[in-house]
Amino acid sequence: MSEKCSAAKRGVYWATVCGNKQIGERFYRLGLEFSGAGAEAFAKIGAGQFAQLDLSETALPPADKIPDELADAAERKILLRRPFSFVDVTTKHNKTSVDILYCVIGPGSLRMTSLSAKDTVSVIGPLGNGFWVPDGKKTALLVSGGMGAGPLQHLAKILTADFRDINVTAFAGAKTVEELPFERQLDEISQQLGFWLREFARYGVESLVATDDGSSGFAGPVTDCLLEWLGKSDSACESMVIYSCGPEAMLARVAKIAKEKNIDCQVSMERRMACGIGICQSCAVECKTDRPGESIYKMCCTDGPVFNSKTIVFHS
Amino acid sequence: MEEKVNISIDFAGIRLGNPVFTASGTCGYADELSDFMDVSSLGGFITKSITAKPRQGNATPRIVETDSGMLNAIGWANIGLDAFVEEKLPALEKLSCAVFVNIAGETIDEYVAVAERLASSDAVAGLELNISCPNVELGGISFGTDPSQVAAVTSAVKNVVGDKILMVKLPPAVTDVSVIAQVAVDTGANALSLVNTFTAMVIDIETRKPILANATGGLSGPAIKPIAVYLVNKVYNEVTKSLGIPILGMGGIRTVSDAVEFIIAGASAVAVGTANFVEPGCAVKIIDGIKGYCASKNILNIKELVGSLEVN
Repeated sequence: MSEKCSAAKRGVYWATVCGNKQIGERFYRLGLEFSGAGAEAFAKIGAGQFAQLDLSETALPPADKIPDELADAAERKILLRRPFSFVDVTTKHNKTSVDILYCVIGPGSLRMTSLSAKDTVSVIGPLGNGFWVPDGKKTALLVSGGMGAGPLQHLAKILTADFRDINVTAFAGAKTVEELPFERQLDEISQQLGFWLREFARYGVESLVATDDGSSGFAGPVTDCLLEWLGKSDSACESMVIYSCGPEAMLARVAKIAKEKNIDCQVSMERRMACGIGICQSCAVECKTDRPGESIYKMCCTDGPVFNSKTIVFHS
Repeated sequence: MEEKVNISIDFAGIRLGNPVFTASGTCGYADELSDFMDVSSLGGFITKSITAKPRQGNATPRIVETDSGMLNAIGWANIGLDAFVEEKLPALEKLSCAVFVNIAGETIDEYVAVAERLASSDAVAGLELNISCPNVELGGISFGTDPSQVAAVTSAVKNVVGDKILMVKLPPAVTDVSVIAQVAVDTGANALSLVNTFTAMVIDIETRKPILANATGGLSGPAIKPIAVYLVNKVYNEVTKSLGIPILGMGGIRTVSDAVEFIIAGASAVAVGTANFVEPGCAVKIIDGIKGYCASKNILNIKELVGSLEVN
């Protein structure tokens, strides 16, 4: 993982649904299982890489299960695939299981909630470039906002398994406790020990929670929580790396902190995309070039979605 | 029966193994699709729009999904003529299908400069003249909607393309597409492709702003297919049939029956566009399906099907 981990063999594969668990009012965790060539293709997928799911033929949930605010969106027929990264990947007996953390926000994710065990889904992947580990790092800080927590859990698993000399700490932010996409927070004793979230504790990774309204953990933006932590830390900045995924305004703040403190930082960007394989040119991300003041568009799908934060021109 | 069916076609003087293309802007420079399909198995391949200089394209959002379709406003993002010739043409030359390069420009001189350079390449079977892109400030659709401009750009490019096929891509939203088609043919087009996307808009009702950074974009996908079939049939009847000029029909094709509809309407060949984003490789399935359809109808040569629409 010292190099960017790129997709092995991209393709269209069929996956079988093995679970679709609701873990919060709007949050679900979908399990998909690949066998054969798909299992091989997804076995080595890196944290932050993604896949495109075809949900166009998936039925809507029953009317009484559709939230009022999505009743209008539910009327929309969808055409394009939907991109998702992974929260966990496991391989067993020549099969690869991947878990997707998703939030119900529109006609695609609404359809996704009606997937159940044994359904099949067409998946294009693995796509894009995931997080990578620069040489000489001793501390990794995983900073997420909302749904950004998904790929960072996958990253926590990889870091703790393959990079044991790196200390990992996770920071999970959201507007309110209800908008944190985790099953249940750990008890007070664990929290005092620095373990707020079971999803990170399972890898032995410390985690902190920040909510804008103070309904859980640190009261304020997760970036302030990060700043406070950095203020107390005696680790050398050059030995640290920040990995971040979440809303772009948050990523911009994380990038600013990283720049000011001279810490390596990688951000996972999000764009509307049609194909995910580099042909439609929809998902442009403005990036700086070596020449001062000059920028070019790179593609979120094939150049990213994970970028070095220094290269991104943030507008928010 | 199926093995006896001949789906190879004569397209403006060149022989194509089958009548299925992938449409400009939906299949990149071909290398992007190699994991998903054997591009050589297509009848023809059309690159994204190439301009004289590299273009970064429009700000984002560049796309938005609509009911059974999508809007795009990419803005001719491409690597520019020099890089295209150096980096992409050598790989395209190795493809065994016919390669068309879609060319675009802000001025007639730019179209001509791009066309002249590409016409000297053995890799290129023909050029598709983009005079119908709705997503750029200068050039594109502004050429394609004015008959005198259509004549000027088509004849200027025709002068420099030698024996390469000159295919003109028509805008669909004009008062009478046949007028534009006739002018293109009269001034040198030896094939026509239609339709390009329809200029359209999606509004965010919370902000009361257009979703696309470019405000408008081109509507593509299944939503436009019936209009595209109608326009192909109109141009076939009113312009190309009597002249033997082939039409490359496109607009929302994603299934075998979609492709067959266009051929019955008068298209000699068809191009798969937006569907490549959803199901890269679907064009290959359509090739086999067309053969199967012909077999089931006792059609031994696909040309019997072209323009075979029976009107009550």
